[in-house]
Amino acid sequence: MINFLKKHMFDKYRLDKDFGKNPEETVSPEEEVAVNEDELFCQAEFDEKKSEIIAAPRYSYWKSVWKTFVGSKMNIAVSILVIFIVAFSFIYPSFSNYDPMDAPYINDASRKYLAPSAEHIFGTDDIGNEVFDVVWEGARNSLIVSLAATAIDMIVGIIVGAIWGFSKKMDKWMIEIYNVISNVPFLLIAMILSYILGNGFGPLIFTMTVTDWIFVAYFIRTQVMIIRDREYNLASKCLGTSTWTMVTKNILPYLISVIMTYISRQVPALISYEVFLSYMGLGLGMQYASLGRTISNYTSYMRGYPHLFWIPVSILAIISISLYIVGQKLADAADPRTHR
Amino acid sequence: MSTNNNEREVILSIRHVDISFDIGKKKKFKAVKDASFDIYRGETFALVGESGSGKTTLGRAAIRINPCSAGEILFNGERISGKISRKQDRNVIRNIQMIFQDPAASLNERATIEYCISEGLYNFHLYKDEEDRIAKVDKALEDVGLLPEHKSRYPHEFSGGQRQRVGIARAMIMEPQLIIADEPISALDVSIRAQILNLMNKLKKEKNLTYLFIAHDLSVVRFIADRIAVIHLGKIVEIAESEDLFRYPVHPYTISLLSAVPMPDPIIEKQRDSIVYTKEEDDPEASPREMREIRPGHFVYANDEDMVAFEERLKKLELYNAENQ
Repeated sequence: MINFLKKHMFDKYRLDKDFGKNPEETVSPEEEVAVNEDELFCQAEFDEKKSEIIAAPRYSYWKSVWKTFVGSKMNIAVSILVIFIVAFSFIYPSFSNYDPMDAPYINDASRKYLAPSAEHIFGTDDIGNEVFDVVWEGARNSLIVSLAATAIDMIVGIIVGAIWGFSKKMDKWMIEIYNVISNVPFLLIAMILSYILGNGFGPLIFTMTVTDWIFVAYFIRTQVMIIRDREYNLASKCLGTSTWTMVTKNILPYLISVIMTYISRQVPALISYEVFLSYMGLGLGMQYASLGRTISNYTSYMRGYPHLFWIPVSILAIISISLYIVGQKLADAADPRTHR
Repeated sequence: MSTNNNEREVILSIRHVDISFDIGKKKKFKAVKDASFDIYRGETFALVGESGSGKTTLGRAAIRINPCSAGEILFNGERISGKISRKQDRNVIRNIQMIFQDPAASLNERATIEYCISEGLYNFHLYKDEEDRIAKVDKALEDVGLLPEHKSRYPHEFSGGQRQRVGIARAMIMEPQLIIADEPISALDVSIRAQILNLMNKLKKEKNLTYLFIAHDLSVVRFIADRIAVIHLGKIVEIAESEDLFRYPVHPYTISLLSAVPMPDPIIEKQRDSIVYTKEEDDPEASPREMREIRPGHFVYANDEDMVAFEERLKKLELYNAENQ
């Protein structure tokens, strides 16, 4: 039996070897190049060190964030749009001679309510001012207010939130403060503060941030609590790491992505806040143009001269949406799970 | 053997320690009850028990993560449980280090290996200058068989065994006297468990360390430990020299635990019948149980009635072992 198998297998082996080969092409032993087997294979020496080497290219967090972000053409397009809008709204108003307290063309009936044209890009308004000038002046002020308020909100919110999330003692009374503040209507606070402090950049930014930071802090507190008790923090504690180092080195790096997401929602939200407050007459004073005030002034012309209303509204929408998209995409890129 | 123990220096002494956790507002759950044992300098002391038996809780109490609700823990003769001065706290951190169970969870994913390993150095400023620090990190990496070029890598780029070695390097760089190894190999692949154990043994010899080794795997414990304490439902039931415990197990829980060890022989494995341990209700009239010395250096949790049964069992075991020598 075994002999039969051996023979059979040997036959099969021979068949396989010669199978499909043209008999003429078969190389005769004489023609084969004589190769010493030692030249083809050599014994590899076992090296423990070599088995530890990591072949993958070096990973760098920020480089990967950048690569992921730039990897999408849409991200680049929207970022260019954002940079252009922000730059334009900061540069252009210093070249236009627009002054919200001045109405040089108020008596020039031929300059009122003109539709957009080559000469008047966005047309003119009820007192003969260029809508183009008004809108960009307003966009600049709205951006200044919302960016400043976001920065204050985030800085205060992150610092307080990080400590709040870590300290169980602080949590007890902070949560009560949070409950009280979150139950007071914001409009009430805004009205009272605007009567006390008056109008202007400082008072408006103060009004917008005076209670808003606690929502950021609450958000950060929850995030910190989620990762606070993970084992690597315990390990850091066993190594004697101080709470502050733990926050900056162990907790916040994990939160970059969620903080980015929050900022990308916060900037447009605060622009809307500003628009809302100015619309209600609680925002910047008469002496400052802002998108909110502009829209509020032009609302009455929505039917007669629709460009007066729709142009500032579209500019507001473009700014808000593009800022939001860039923020979201940056947040996505900051999440290491998207890194390749 | 006990005389031998008396001559040796006690590094960590756990004395009548209770550890309890709050459940709700008034209820308390006692995870560890009246635990007492000494760990001598230079030995590997293993704490064995099933999951939920309180072995990790007790290990963490020794490193001051879990507070003791009763009893005290002495390190080199000084009390380290309860409220202690900041200087003492720093001293404990420097001299007692921990190796964690899950190497993936215990390393900061957003920090480089260099930072992970030098974290302790930064906290205690244990280096002269930057060069010295880097040299120390390189040395620590080399000690655990990793390469200096791994410094700039992130933990997620490493295999489980490599990560655990980073965890070991991080503890070793502090030059501690005592290391609490909380199931250091249970999260690892079987193929590299031996590597980590051998590394731990090597480092122990080189650096003159003492280990408190927490495990549930008895075959591992037999390999690495000098003395073993068996813990069951927060109660230490038997403490003995490693071989002594395997040859003369007297407490029914220990016997049941030993009977559950799988044998790498299919025939024996087939014949093996696991002895199930059921905890009998405490008889209120029986004398209270306490740790009693049944053989030199071999302690068991028993009362007078238990001792009779245990001694009988011990005699049988001695006879059996003598025959099978």
